[in-house]
Amino acid sequence: MILRKAKGKHIDGRKQMSRCQPLQEYLNPSHVYLPLVHQNAVLKRVVEVGDDILVGQVVAEREGFGAMPFHASVSGKVSAVKKVWHASGKMVEAIEIENDNLNRLSESIKPETNVDNLTREQLIKKMQDAGLCGMGGASFPTYVKYQTKSPIDTIIINDVECEPYLTCDCLLSQTFPEKVLKGLKYFMKAANATKGVIAIKYYNRNVIDLFNSLLPNYPGIAIQEMKDIYPAGWEKYIVEQVSGKTYDKLPSEAGVIVNNAATAVAFSDMVENNIPLISRVITITGEGIKQPQNFLVPIGTKVAELIAKTGGYVDNLDPAKSWYIAGGPMTGRAILIDDLIVDYPLGSVIVMPMPEEKDHPECLGCGRCSDVCPVFLTPTSIKSAYERKDIAAIGKLNAMKCMGCGLCSYVCPSHVEITDFVAKAKDMYRKGAK
Amino acid sequence: MARFAGGKAPFLRSVDQGGQDTKKIMRDFLIGLIPVILFAWYKNGIQVYINGDCTIWEMLYPLAFILLGGIISMLMEGLVFVITDKETRSLKAIMQKINLSFAVVPGLLIALILPMYTPIWVLVFGCFMGTVVGKMLFGGFGHNIFNPALVGYLAIGFTFSGLIGNSGGYLNPSEVLVDSYAGATPLGTLAMFKTISWDTLVAPYGTLWNFFLGTIPGSLGETSALAILVSFIWLSARKVIKWSTPVIYVGTVFILSWIIGIASGDSGLWFPSYSILSGGLMFGAVFMATEPVTTPKNPLGKIIYALLLGVLTVLFRMIGNYPEGVATSLIVMNIFTIPVDQVTAEIRANGITKKTWVKAAVMLLIILGIGFYAVTKSVNTYTIFVGFFGGVM
Repeated sequence: MILRKAKGKHIDGRKQMSRCQPLQEYLNPSHVYLPLVHQNAVLKRVVEVGDDILVGQVVAEREGFGAMPFHASVSGKVSAVKKVWHASGKMVEAIEIENDNLNRLSESIKPETNVDNLTREQLIKKMQDAGLCGMGGASFPTYVKYQTKSPIDTIIINDVECEPYLTCDCLLSQTFPEKVLKGLKYFMKAANATKGVIAIKYYNRNVIDLFNSLLPNYPGIAIQEMKDIYPAGWEKYIVEQVSGKTYDKLPSEAGVIVNNAATAVAFSDMVENNIPLISRVITITGEGIKQPQNFLVPIGTKVAELIAKTGGYVDNLDPAKSWYIAGGPMTGRAILIDDLIVDYPLGSVIVMPMPEEKDHPECLGCGRCSDVCPVFLTPTSIKSAYERKDIAAIGKLNAMKCMGCGLCSYVCPSHVEITDFVAKAKDMYRKGAK
Repeated sequence: MARFAGGKAPFLRSVDQGGQDTKKIMRDFLIGLIPVILFAWYKNGIQVYINGDCTIWEMLYPLAFILLGGIISMLMEGLVFVITDKETRSLKAIMQKINLSFAVVPGLLIALILPMYTPIWVLVFGCFMGTVVGKMLFGGFGHNIFNPALVGYLAIGFTFSGLIGNSGGYLNPSEVLVDSYAGATPLGTLAMFKTISWDTLVAPYGTLWNFFLGTIPGSLGETSALAILVSFIWLSARKVIKWSTPVIYVGTVFILSWIIGIASGDSGLWFPSYSILSGGLMFGAVFMATEPVTTPKNPLGKIIYALLLGVLTVLFRMIGNYPEGVATSLIVMNIFTIPVDQVTAEIRANGITKKTWVKAAVMLLIILGIGFYAVTKSVNTYTIFVGFFGGVM
């Protein structure tokens, strides 16, 4: 419809910082801290302090919606249960495991003998048992997506990584292109889908070439090159670009399931070797880091150790005037302390100096924010509705559609924290609607 | 363990990366005024001097007059800051505040839409009404409901319009000598004679080419469509204004005047061209209908706003008592900015659904209704066939 065509916005990616370095492994931290929280659910701990733990052993369980187990990422002894800083910006309970560096595997980790004969139900069961969740940021339990009743014809692997600075998915697919394709193949099987698509930004030429050379072995899989705009990695945008269809709430309405590339890699390990979700790739980058790098680490590693391993902060970094961001620079969260642990959805940690404080003029009402909004909202109207506490108007303006991409604040010439205002308006609406 | 600073997502801002910030936008806006100011100076100063109708000091008068407008309004805003805020007593603090509230803009615009021989104290009055009443009393930059320049202009128009006429008014020293100018301005002629004919409307001023170049009587900045077009291209290229708003506004006026012309028995393209080239339409469309603070914020709202402006301008121009309809329609639409913004924001966020189609339909009907009324009414005014549409309207 006219005037409702989202264009997105090109943002300088600054990806070369961490991209030129190869993926580093850091598999044996002295301690790991497995957080006892997943999305908004508190996990039930099933091990006690002093227990001997093997890699892949279940240490906690999520109950209720999205019930699934969580696994130890190293072997050793449970030394404590204590509070640690988490990517959500709060302190959460975590199981501390002292690593014995022996990498003793649990019995369940063994190569699968009849990979090709697994049925759809068996594959979905594997996702649940291995605790597979989305690794793009929302950390949604993957098996719930695949239990959908609607027919699925396409699986899309989201390898777009539209957030600036981040390179973890790119390096992961560069290092394990075969695993991405295998994971996608198993995903297609788990949904009875006939088509598989890998969505990736056009400028990642070397990764696309790698995929293309492997594609002949994987019938039904194609590459979709995406434009270099933000938010090209948004689920709805990818689905629209790939299938031409749109949906209201879930991609399955359009016959599509979208998974992150890291999820696909984890799934291929799961299917072939029964390895549960115990590691991920994380980008340590930003102007405040001496040598930005990507690490393959067990879940629960301390980020401070990784930063030390990259070579630490740049010399003139003033922490009180720098941001320490968990997640991408557009949607992430500023954490006040660098003592963070790696969790499933944490794709990156960015350290960058704060821009200079300046006096900013008032909102001049130019309307750039509503021009760029990918869901066609008018943030200024939502802001004024929030300021006069008009909950009905917030609802009418469809504020709940906002996905917090941050573009409105990004383009604002007057430096208004407009994304934050919309988020507050959403909170107010949620409370008021109840 | 280092302690870091807090902040709100997103942590990247185009402003910090050398992108467009408000100051740059306003700077580019001022640059966009330069062609218009230069033409006003050329037409009313340099050209007159070349003709030998004034002295060299009088040649500088138009330029000085325009700049004076900007200076007066800056002074007044500084005075308001000193009076209202006890902490801004140092010159530096005041300058900083004036810088952030872009005080120079309304004054320049007021001077540009006034005729050349407006007495200075009338200009001061206009700047007072514009910056102090129209802007600062509403809370300053970003909070004003009405376009400050228009508030100043209309205040002058309602109070001192006769005075301006007595002191020389719209004609510069060279134009006074031309006998064929019946009314002061082409639109004045239209309001006086209420007929659509080339001979009375265009012929006294030469051809439509003169209208385009701007060598016709009028207020300082408004006459030259060419200079305004140059500004328009600059401002759109720098993304200071949205190109669509002026185009839709002027286009609406063009089409409606064409319909009026055809219905009154003259189907030539000269009448719609005359309509868009005369008066302050071009100036208002480029510099005022796009003024961000007082116009709707979302793209759909901007289009509806421009459409309504066009319809209202035709209505006020053809039927109203005053020759000029642009300023009045802009002020009227300033009032309706908030509802238009609200309704179009809802329509845009939801699409045309059960919830919103009634509102969309009502909005469309209002536009069509006013347009139809304007056309039929003015046709009845201008046509020789009395009761063209049965005289119902």
